[in-house]
Amino acid sequence: MERKITFAIEGMGNVEISAIAGENILELARKANVAIDAPCSGNGSCGKCRVKLLEGSIVSNMTRHISEEEYAEGWRLACESKVGDSDAVIMVPDIASAYRSRMKIADLTDASEIEVFNNTKAEIFGAGIATGTKLRKVSVELTEPSLDDAMSDLERISMELEAQLGEPVVPTHFAVSRLPKALRVSGFKADCIIEERNGANVLIDVWGASEEHKLCGIAIDIGTTTVSAVLVDMSTGDILAKASSGNGQIRYGADVINRIIEATKPGGIKKLQKAVIEETINPIIRNMCASAKIAKEDVCRVAVAGNTTMNHLFAGIDPESIRMEPYVPVFMDFTGIYAADVQLPVNPNAELVIAPNIGSYVGGDITAGTLASMIWNSEEMALFIDLGTNGELVFGNSDFLMSCACSAGPAFEGGDISCGMRATDGAIESCTIDKETLKPTLGIVGPAGTKPIGLCGSGLIDTVAEMFRCGIINPLGKINVEGERIRTDEYGMKSYVIAFADESETGREIALTEVDLDNFIRAKGAIFSAIKIMLESLDFPIEVITKVIIAGGIGSGINIKNAVRIGMLPDIDKEFYSYIGNSSLSGAYAMLISEEARDKVTELKNNMTYMELSSNPGYMDEFVASCFVPHTNAALFPSAMED
Amino acid sequence: MPFKKPVQKYNASINTVELGVGDKKIVLGGENVLPLYTFDGAIENAPKVGIEISDLGYADQVPGISGFYADCATIADMAKKAASIEDVDFVCLRLDSADPNGKDASVEDCVATAKAVADAIDKPLVIAGCKNDEKDAALFTKIADALQGKNVLVFSAKEANYKGIAASAGLAYNQKLGGESAVDINLAKQLNVLITQMGVAPSSIVMNTGTAAAGYGFEYVVSTMDRVKAAALGQNDASLQIPIMTPVGSETWGVKESVASEEDMPAWGSQEKRGISMEVTTAAADLASGSNAVILRHPESVAAVAKLIKELI
Repeated sequence: MERKITFAIEGMGNVEISAIAGENILELARKANVAIDAPCSGNGSCGKCRVKLLEGSIVSNMTRHISEEEYAEGWRLACESKVGDSDAVIMVPDIASAYRSRMKIADLTDASEIEVFNNTKAEIFGAGIATGTKLRKVSVELTEPSLDDAMSDLERISMELEAQLGEPVVPTHFAVSRLPKALRVSGFKADCIIEERNGANVLIDVWGASEEHKLCGIAIDIGTTTVSAVLVDMSTGDILAKASSGNGQIRYGADVINRIIEATKPGGIKKLQKAVIEETINPIIRNMCASAKIAKEDVCRVAVAGNTTMNHLFAGIDPESIRMEPYVPVFMDFTGIYAADVQLPVNPNAELVIAPNIGSYVGGDITAGTLASMIWNSEEMALFIDLGTNGELVFGNSDFLMSCACSAGPAFEGGDISCGMRATDGAIESCTIDKETLKPTLGIVGPAGTKPIGLCGSGLIDTVAEMFRCGIINPLGKINVEGERIRTDEYGMKSYVIAFADESETGREIALTEVDLDNFIRAKGAIFSAIKIMLESLDFPIEVITKVIIAGGIGSGINIKNAVRIGMLPDIDKEFYSYIGNSSLSGAYAMLISEEARDKVTELKNNMTYMELSSNPGYMDEFVASCFVPHTNAALFPSAMED
Repeated sequence: MPFKKPVQKYNASINTVELGVGDKKIVLGGENVLPLYTFDGAIENAPKVGIEISDLGYADQVPGISGFYADCATIADMAKKAASIEDVDFVCLRLDSADPNGKDASVEDCVATAKAVADAIDKPLVIAGCKNDEKDAALFTKIADALQGKNVLVFSAKEANYKGIAASAGLAYNQKLGGESAVDINLAKQLNVLITQMGVAPSSIVMNTGTAAAGYGFEYVVSTMDRVKAAALGQNDASLQIPIMTPVGSETWGVKESVASEEDMPAWGSQEKRGISMEVTTAAADLASGSNAVILRHPESVAAVAKLIKELI
């Protein structure tokens, strides 16, 4: 018999869907397009898909994520619940998922937001790479048509352009559709946007001279967890707007493997492409264009950097082969794709400049990031680490580059951590703990007085390092002490309370559990073991590194001392470290404003050697050794024990 | 040029750990050469041989074992009989009865058994548990208390239950404790670090790095012990300079070569001979890989392994 399930989305309204008994509530929510956070893809392990039964009944399993008290109040895990014998009204809270994916428009009056792009620009162009793309604006003044001069608009403008350029132009449907109005509003004076494609001059847009237009471009970093973008004035390279938002695909799983699995289901590719383009990138573009007062058709070039799975899904291309042996992606370097192909709400003729992939697990975010890291421009032995949803390394200098992926999981972006979140308002980004009282002092993203919601990557590193320094945890991440901040659940699992219920924004306690600590230690172990194995396989000691560049959206920065204390990063001179924020976006930005930068990224991709860690016989051994704080071989981290 | 034999002697050495009290006490470890490498340097404390008895008795075992204890009425009698073998350096009491999925004997009963055994013998005593982490922790804590002054070894604590055992046996009651890990050098080292970080002296710890019967993935056992000794001696890794004790009999008497009867496997010959061969072969391989002590079950195996050690050292 048919049941009616109503999802009451907090702050959004109701969505109704009919269902049959036995249907999984999480699946049903996805079908109804209701976003419920489910980073573990619905296998009951992460506990993030909490919903509250308001009316009627559903059939749910008890789980360790819901206390008996909460169960009595109606809290359930969506993935552990099925439609029962009656209709039901289920409340979907506006917490985790919303805080995760809420869009953030950057305040550009804050100089630090643009500084990183100016630095990238200065560094890349300082290294001899010229700015400029194949886009240009050509102004024409045409004689107005008359009964004696009845040449068509297109012939008229084509003749003039050919006269100016010395070569014929190729019109596009979109440009011609804009032509009549553009010419007639401004007395047949117009600005033509022309792009050189394979030696031909392609007319991609026509603006009336009296109309307000600005030739713009957009650079996008499509992260597995977070999507960020900048709107750029193509004539100056200035940033006009910057925004970020959670990747809408997150409800189909926190990591790329779950996304690929989801994409292989019927209609899956379209569904995931829609989640990232329609639900994530389009709102970002609309918001940026609105805040900078730019018509979206003025965006004539888009640079996209993302990991291999993300750029496949963005392009609507089946990613399944990425996951299957021999792990071959459909494309590495894909050119000749335009906005209209993926229905991006910009000029349909805008070229999509996709940063090329190196392999299935080292993608365009890393090639673009490597460009921004500048390690290719110096003889210094440098290590570039991108702490994204996975974690990738590039090691080398101007003579050679090696890369590898280190399967660290999404912990640094808040995934796999019960109180994890991305670095948006309310995220705890730094933490110190008093050794006597075990009371933490928190740094929180957002205006003064913002209450904490959860931990972002940098806050997580700090908290774990401080817990270790204060003896709250042992080297295995097990909680060692008792006190008012230590909780033990009915299964014997302990947790450390970072903020009590009345101190947090959500009214729920923020606590790190031993499961979180375990996940985190595996993540940091994956990073360090990858560094160690990569260098060992090249026969270099760790001391050879004199420069470490860290990128990623882990927070406003990373406390290197703490990252070393927990054995995540090598114990070398702290001065060698620097943090460059979202290098994938910086790299995409460079590719947007410079054709030569784009070529450079392709060159880097061609010259970079990909190393498969899992096939290295020493890897598992080193990984086990690294899953200990700071490390099984404590001698590698002499500074870890300093107070 | 005359041949000069290279000597591979290390500056570092394995810790010594004393078990038992009085004349019969034994010392494990102390060497600064690779296992059995007497040609590189003297090995002062030869590897030791222990004999294992189970508090469930051995009536169902091969005749050589069940027959040996046939005249013993109590576990204390069995212990006395086992300790009377000259080649035996120590006795290992395995408290199989405590298993919650089996007889589930109470902690009090097991303490009484341990006390009876300890009082019956003058050779050092090793107490092995029932392989249930929680029950073992409870047993070891109480037994360590009850047998204060006997310097026994509780064998062994694991990552899941080391805290209570280290605090009681290692700190409060001055006994020795074993640290058991699953055939992985890093896990072995991590457990040693955790135990010593609680304040237990390295001279109170013995490692059980795990074993298998020969032929059952034994190469992992070899490489783990090899690397432990190489790191302990070659890299002066203090957290691995801990003697290794390996329970052999409990492993080998469960594999098909030892349990298949002659009726079922006529081509294989005598079950008892096979079982002894399995036990002796595995023990010899463990000793060659780095064990400072092995625990055996069959009196004939004890004799064979003791002879092997005597001839090599």
